[in-house]
Amino acid sequence: MASLFKRKALGREASLGVILIFAVAVTGFINPRFVTGDGTRDLLSATAIVALLAIGIAPIMIMRHIDLSIASTVGFSAWLVADTCAKNPSFTWVQCFLVGGSLGIVIGILNGLLVAGLRLPSLVVTLGTLYIVRGGVYVVSNSVDYNAQEMPKSLLKIGSTAFFGLLPVPFFLALVLMAIVAWFLKYTKAGRDCYAIGSNPPAADLVGLKVFRRTFLAYIFSGFIAGIAGVFYLMRFAQVDSTAFYGQELAVVAAAVIGGIGLLGGAGTAVGVVIGALLVQTIQGALAALGVDAFWKAAINGLLLIVAIYADRILASRSEKALLAQRIKERV
Amino acid sequence: MPEKNKFKLRKSWDTAILALLFVVWVLASMTTDNFLSSINVSQIFSNSSEIMIMGFAMVFLIIAGEIDLSIASILALSSAMLGYSYAHGAPIWLAILIAMAVGTTCGFINGFLVTKLGLGSLAVTIGALALYRGIANGILGTNTINEFPEFWTNFGFDTIGKSFIPQTLPVIIVFGIFFGLLLHNTPFGRRTLAIGQSQMAARFAGVNVVRHKIIIFTFTGFMSGVAGIIYTFRFSTAQADNGVGLELLVISACLLGGVSIFGGIGTMWGVVAGVMLASSVESWLTLREINAQWRTIVTGILLLISVAAPVLVDKWKRAKATAANKS
Amino acid sequence: MANKGDLLLEMKDVKKRFGGAVALRGTSLSVRAGEIHALLGENGAGKSTMLKILAGVHVHDGGEITLGGSAFISGSPQASIDQGIAVIYQEPSLFLDLSLAENVFVGRQPKKGIAIDWKEAEAQASKLFKELGVELDPKRQARGLSIADQQVVEIAKALSMNANIILMDEPTAALSASEVERLMTVMRNLRAANKAVIFVSHRLDEVFAISDHITVMRDGATVSEKKIAQTDLQTVIKEMVGRELTELFPKTDHPIGDVVLEVENLTNAAYFRNVSFTVRKGEIVALAGLVGSGRSEIARSIFGIDSYDEGSVKINHKPLKKNSPIAAMDVKIALVPEDRRQQGLFMVAGVNRNISMESFSRLTGRFFINFKKERALTNEWRENLSIKYADQSDPVDRLSGGNQQKTVLAKWLATNPDLLIVDEPTRGIDVGTKAEVHRLIDKAAGEGKAVLMISSELPEVLGMADRIIVMREGRQVTELSRKEATQENVIAAATTGKKGI
Repeated sequence: MASLFKRKALGREASLGVILIFAVAVTGFINPRFVTGDGTRDLLSATAIVALLAIGIAPIMIMRHIDLSIASTVGFSAWLVADTCAKNPSFTWVQCFLVGGSLGIVIGILNGLLVAGLRLPSLVVTLGTLYIVRGGVYVVSNSVDYNAQEMPKSLLKIGSTAFFGLLPVPFFLALVLMAIVAWFLKYTKAGRDCYAIGSNPPAADLVGLKVFRRTFLAYIFSGFIAGIAGVFYLMRFAQVDSTAFYGQELAVVAAAVIGGIGLLGGAGTAVGVVIGALLVQTIQGALAALGVDAFWKAAINGLLLIVAIYADRILASRSEKALLAQRIKERV
Repeated sequence: MPEKNKFKLRKSWDTAILALLFVVWVLASMTTDNFLSSINVSQIFSNSSEIMIMGFAMVFLIIAGEIDLSIASILALSSAMLGYSYAHGAPIWLAILIAMAVGTTCGFINGFLVTKLGLGSLAVTIGALALYRGIANGILGTNTINEFPEFWTNFGFDTIGKSFIPQTLPVIIVFGIFFGLLLHNTPFGRRTLAIGQSQMAARFAGVNVVRHKIIIFTFTGFMSGVAGIIYTFRFSTAQADNGVGLELLVISACLLGGVSIFGGIGTMWGVVAGVMLASSVESWLTLREINAQWRTIVTGILLLISVAAPVLVDKWKRAKATAANKS
Repeated sequence: MANKGDLLLEMKDVKKRFGGAVALRGTSLSVRAGEIHALLGENGAGKSTMLKILAGVHVHDGGEITLGGSAFISGSPQASIDQGIAVIYQEPSLFLDLSLAENVFVGRQPKKGIAIDWKEAEAQASKLFKELGVELDPKRQARGLSIADQQVVEIAKALSMNANIILMDEPTAALSASEVERLMTVMRNLRAANKAVIFVSHRLDEVFAISDHITVMRDGATVSEKKIAQTDLQTVIKEMVGRELTELFPKTDHPIGDVVLEVENLTNAAYFRNVSFTVRKGEIVALAGLVGSGRSEIARSIFGIDSYDEGSVKINHKPLKKNSPIAAMDVKIALVPEDRRQQGLFMVAGVNRNISMESFSRLTGRFFINFKKERALTNEWRENLSIKYADQSDPVDRLSGGNQQKTVLAKWLATNPDLLIVDEPTRGIDVGTKAEVHRLIDKAAGEGKAVLMISSELPEVLGMADRIIVMREGRQVTELSRKEATQENVIAAATTGKKGI
């Protein structure tokens, strides 16, 4: 097992894959329904939103920042899109995405200005916007909820379609985004800049990277994706109230950390993040399948996050120790 | 001389916050009928109880360069445990002790994770935030417990005699004096500031940084437990979503009071002023009958202002200084 | 591509001030293609300010800078890079998570269509490393590279940007002897390629071994600019300090008493091995050697900041608990650390709060700090050490380097230690204060304290120490008495590991 945990480019993804298969196998053994076609489709469509959001914050976290406001943005976007659709019955799914995405971009701009422009600590800033945006949903929604009747049929249809009866369209779309972002992070200058900025922020300034622009755009991207994810939320649940997706930012951050984006930036891939999201959802789904009370869900999210941070720390200190050992060898 | 500016800035920040508090009071009493009535002043004190109590401890954490976002969840968990154990037949004094012990333990766990395992406090306490409230959820579910001995609910709700002083105020004042002296007049407080100013220099000065931080985390947990008890009696309710989001109010109050988010700088009376400001604004909004949902937004905005304002003022002063140098 | 001898950089009467402090009061420098130009001066002479102006970090307030005939556009690192200036800092700041090839081409990766062409990047990086005469795998991560190799990567980066002028800020400070040799080869290769190399160094032997021109700076101004043949070591030293060396060391003889510190077979695998020595009452023992030879790490292990793997430390014949500064302070050890800004002081805190930090036991009643006693303590040490400040509560950041160093000394002398460890006690302070610090250390020894001194300045070591222990790459090479020690045999031991010439 030890060699699986080496911090190599593909090693992390491979070892996560093994853990994932293991988790699925154990749960499937105890509760066979978990590994049927229905179970898989369920798991994948549940994962779609978290995976999407985790890809969205990947560039930010690679740059050693964070965005906690995403779950509130999802909630706001979902409610706003539902509200707009209710008032404009002729709306199609395209317009839904436009509305959601635009709202996300606005929130992303706010975060980006504060973090990239004023260089304020991103955790505190996005904690603040988390509350502001959620408060915004409370205020504008005025306790109005929406159900499937008020939503465009074209939209709900996307949510319920699955390729080969196994691969739900939302998850497929998340995979497409994953491929694009993975390519972007590996093969474009802007993508590589993210790694450089997160790996050594002062040096990034020194070599003249456009730190402000990259950070700012990354927040807009994350906001945009969160806005889109709000529409995904409608596709999946076909209903929305002001508490939609409350507190789920933790699941997303946990997915990203488990997926190999260290909290110290400079590392991680889009593929790893999606596997991380699958793993988080599998564990939650597994616990439900094993009959653990839904009230414990938040506690499990928190515990998962702590464990993920700890595992990340262990891996980092392991490679530090390896370096020290190498140094000692050179000395002798 | 940027440092000089920084220090002047800090001093003027303290003054500014007092002035702002005054302005809020004037505006509030002008725009509402009874802002400064004895009942409302009593309400302001009473409503700020938990924030104040947790703020007394949190200021140590922020000064030492750490943070604990799980305090409101610790409040909820100790409140839940107080209710749960009382409802399951424990005498009230034992239930109170259990609540305190739970808070202390949670704080210790946070300290352990941050110092011994070396995990970042922001990230870890976000996890702990979900974990502790999740446990409270798991214990109580959607149940609420609201049968408590009258003596204790009176303690939470009533004032002393016919005055406007809430019964809880003396408790808060005692804690305030204790932690104020601890921060400003003892080696422990000095070492806390030292750690925040330079953790490495603190180690070279013989400060046991790990132990020191664990102690601070632990008493922050304890104070959150105490806040949980007072919250429970004040509303005579123990439920899992007690005090949701309160951690942000505490942090914004500390930052508003001039404590630096980067550590090393802060005063106790600044925090008191910050808490009073936050709760006065809150009370003002309530009296103006502004929708309770707006308060979530105001909380977030207060937090943003409190981190952004020092930076903005600093930038502005620097720009002014450069302009003055050029001419 | 410049021809040999072309004037690449000319600075005339360049001035820079930070608020009220003047950093450069009129420096000049002219550097030609195919030349290695050494920039010398004590710390604070203005060398780094000058480098930073060229690097685009600072903007000069006055004077003229021309690059190959056209005016220098200042103000951003990017502009400097575009004009062919590259800076190699003492501690290179690579992106440790990225590959070497990527570090070379960060921000300028070669492209094929819209995508980055990694094969091309790796091939080019590999070619650059070969040109510099160093075999490095362009695919490996930068994390774990030695400092010497990191510098090579930085230089390769500079070459890939077609830099004509390569500035190196104390590049050899953290290198071992063989690594220095390799760096010199690289520098000669650069010279052969008609680049202008400007390097800052405190190691005069290296300067004379490799450079063509020497510019000496003092107090923000250029003192002299000469060809190597027109000057010599003695002249350069005089130009740097502006006064005779002999005035500096007021060492007096003290009676030497019982053993205070016994270090036996101390080993910390990563830094030093089998170190054994003693320090007696009234004695000053120096740990000499190059930076990186493990001296500071020994001090840190004795004081308990770091742990150690094997061996023992005894104070007054009693074993000392490892890895506990508190235990060390209990048995009256004081450590004045090498980096006063990071390790020695709390820069934003007042002078009084810094001085009282280790002496609370004397200032505290049952619980509370007695502020009156704190003020008295600060005043006492202000007088003892003639520290200059306007107000006790002034943040030490506002004090000059010399007064800061005195403050660190004061706070540890206030604990009345039996063993005083001073690590680079006079680094970066002016000559006058240096002499004062030396007098204070001598006085401490005179009061019967045992003193362990770490210093990279040879004259200081020779002038102050009763005994000298020379370290090289983590091992104790030799021990010399005051009488035996000479400039030559200490240098020989520190750089070659041989005990005598």
